[in-house]
Amino acid sequence: MGYRKLFYISNFLMLGVFVWALAVDNNAEWKPYQSKYFQMTADNFDKQAAAEKDPKKAEVFRAQAKAARHAPLEIRQIIVGDLNRFDRCTTCHVAMDEYTNPTLKTPAGWANPYKGHPKVDEALVKAHPFTKYGCTACHEGQGLATTVAGAHGHVMAWESPMLSVKAGHIQGSCVKCHGNFETLKGAEIAAKGRAQFKQHGCYGCHSINGWGQSVSVGLEAIADKPFERIAGYNYNRVRIDGQPLPQAEWNIQNWILAHLTNDPEHVTPNDPFAELNAEPIPPSGMANFTKNGEISRSDADAITAYLSGMTQEELIPYRWHVPAPAEREPHFADAKAHGHFVFQKYGCAGCHGLDAKQGRRRFNALGKGQAPYDEKMSKDELFANMELGAEPTLPDLMGTYTHDELVKKIANGVAASEAKKWNPNGPLPMVFMPVWKDKISKNEMDDLATWLLSTAKKDDSGF
Amino acid sequence: MNRKWILIAAAALLGLTAVPGVRAAEMTDKEKALASPYSNDLGPDSLPEETVKSYPADIQKGYHILKGEIQKDGKWVYNNGKSGCVQCHTASRPLNSRFLEPEGGMDDAAQTAALGKLKKAQPELFKDLTVWQPEVKVFNRYVKRMMNKPGCAISKPEGKAIWEFLEYDGAHRKTGANAEKWEAHRKKLVAEFKEKYPKRYEELKAANDL
Repeated sequence: MGYRKLFYISNFLMLGVFVWALAVDNNAEWKPYQSKYFQMTADNFDKQAAAEKDPKKAEVFRAQAKAARHAPLEIRQIIVGDLNRFDRCTTCHVAMDEYTNPTLKTPAGWANPYKGHPKVDEALVKAHPFTKYGCTACHEGQGLATTVAGAHGHVMAWESPMLSVKAGHIQGSCVKCHGNFETLKGAEIAAKGRAQFKQHGCYGCHSINGWGQSVSVGLEAIADKPFERIAGYNYNRVRIDGQPLPQAEWNIQNWILAHLTNDPEHVTPNDPFAELNAEPIPPSGMANFTKNGEISRSDADAITAYLSGMTQEELIPYRWHVPAPAEREPHFADAKAHGHFVFQKYGCAGCHGLDAKQGRRRFNALGKGQAPYDEKMSKDELFANMELGAEPTLPDLMGTYTHDELVKKIANGVAASEAKKWNPNGPLPMVFMPVWKDKISKNEMDDLATWLLSTAKKDDSGF
Repeated sequence: MNRKWILIAAAALLGLTAVPGVRAAEMTDKEKALASPYSNDLGPDSLPEETVKSYPADIQKGYHILKGEIQKDGKWVYNNGKSGCVQCHTASRPLNSRFLEPEGGMDDAAQTAALGKLKKAQPELFKDLTVWQPEVKVFNRYVKRMMNKPGCAISKPEGKAIWEFLEYDGAHRKTGANAEKWEAHRKKLVAEFKEKYPKRYEELKAANDL
């Protein structure tokens, strides 16, 4: 083929590409939504005009209907300068564009994406004008995208998909800026999440902004955790309602939720028999909170909502932050009640169970019900026995301590290296009793010991 | 000849490359206990035979159980560290302990009364906690605490026998005419401990746990 022919063919091909691009743009996913919205709006004005008895007013309605019918189809966006965000959500959700629909309201029965923003008359929405805060500051998602899946963020590798309103995860956005979220109307689910976080003893292992222990990772920036640090890319481990997730649903909310709605032992990567590593790696040391329904699905969603606000997003302006008032310590009539409060306050339940009733699992530690170790056991048998390792059940032990001995024990903790392993070739049990003397005050420690000693089981040893 | 040595050296090098993959031997429970030593650990891990023989038969039984011995053909034989206190630490730890439980058995009131009596009769026993720590039910609590440790194979009757021995032994070997001898023994252990483990000594001293 000669160069001239090649030149002509290339030109036709290039023209074809331009035509194809125009066709694609003309059929953009957002256009029918915008077009239908304006059609519905025009029809609504026509209906109002027909019902209107005052001819002047009816004329205004007809003019509005005409304007809606001739409204140009265009990309609409809110520029949130403070956050360097560009939210094009109003391209489809036109009723939520304050310039097109100043009332932000639509007739009853209009569904998404045509309906206006709910609760526009409430303080929560009024305090966050869309022109200033945009959409994704609260809802997350991919502001620049103009396809449904892309904008909602349920696409591969978009790490901040829209937060679920139904499950309350969106309330994590309140936590980002409002230190006082626990007293805010509209942030009740996130507040419940923090209460649950405290009640189940999460602070005993995880710290948030310096409060809590450092047995496991700090969670003050958990919402920013990137994909490459989640699940070792093995998302088959992460299941919600028993089902593995499609890749588009791999995100931090589901990662947190999976820890609370499954046994975390099956969620995080591990290698207890050192098949892939030089050293055995235990499964997650986190307790199985689904056991006996300790954490329900709605509790798990609430904790997920609370933790979704744990971000250190640098672009949030300092002036947006509302500081939390200092937490007031309740007053207690007696030392025991205060001791119980201290037990919860410092997250002791994370290892010793709610109200210290039952020590939680401690993989490969010694525990009750384990068969004697035998290296000839199958891997399944070894794993099953390692799983029976447990933290101490405190009421069993309390009768063997004096007040001073117990205070000393709590103050100094027990080093991880002191753990006794059931399987000598297995991993060192992960969770350990941290040093508390620098965290718990003397008065608190005394009352904690008083309460713990009061939980002692009746001595049936016969001596 | 040279080729043979080259082959041996190559094999040795290959072996060395595999070393990082081999896990370091981990400490046994007993090694872990001894890694945080007490002055007691420097003392003898058994009592003189004549002392043991001077104790009543049921008290002697507690001593043998403590030392991890079992009865076989009418004799007490070592059970390879599978029973008694020696499962987790040496017998030196309880045998050289500063703890002193007043006589009185299970009865708290009787022990408290005995403690009061002891204070009047031998006030020197209450002056140096590194030598004597007289306390109601102190061994009773400790034996039960050890029994509650996961993996501890001490049964309730065995625990009771150990406690009875420790209570009786303390009252007879650490007080009365033997008090002076005991004081010298403990002071020697503490001095040796200070010299051998100065850091640990300071730690325990600060925690009133020497």
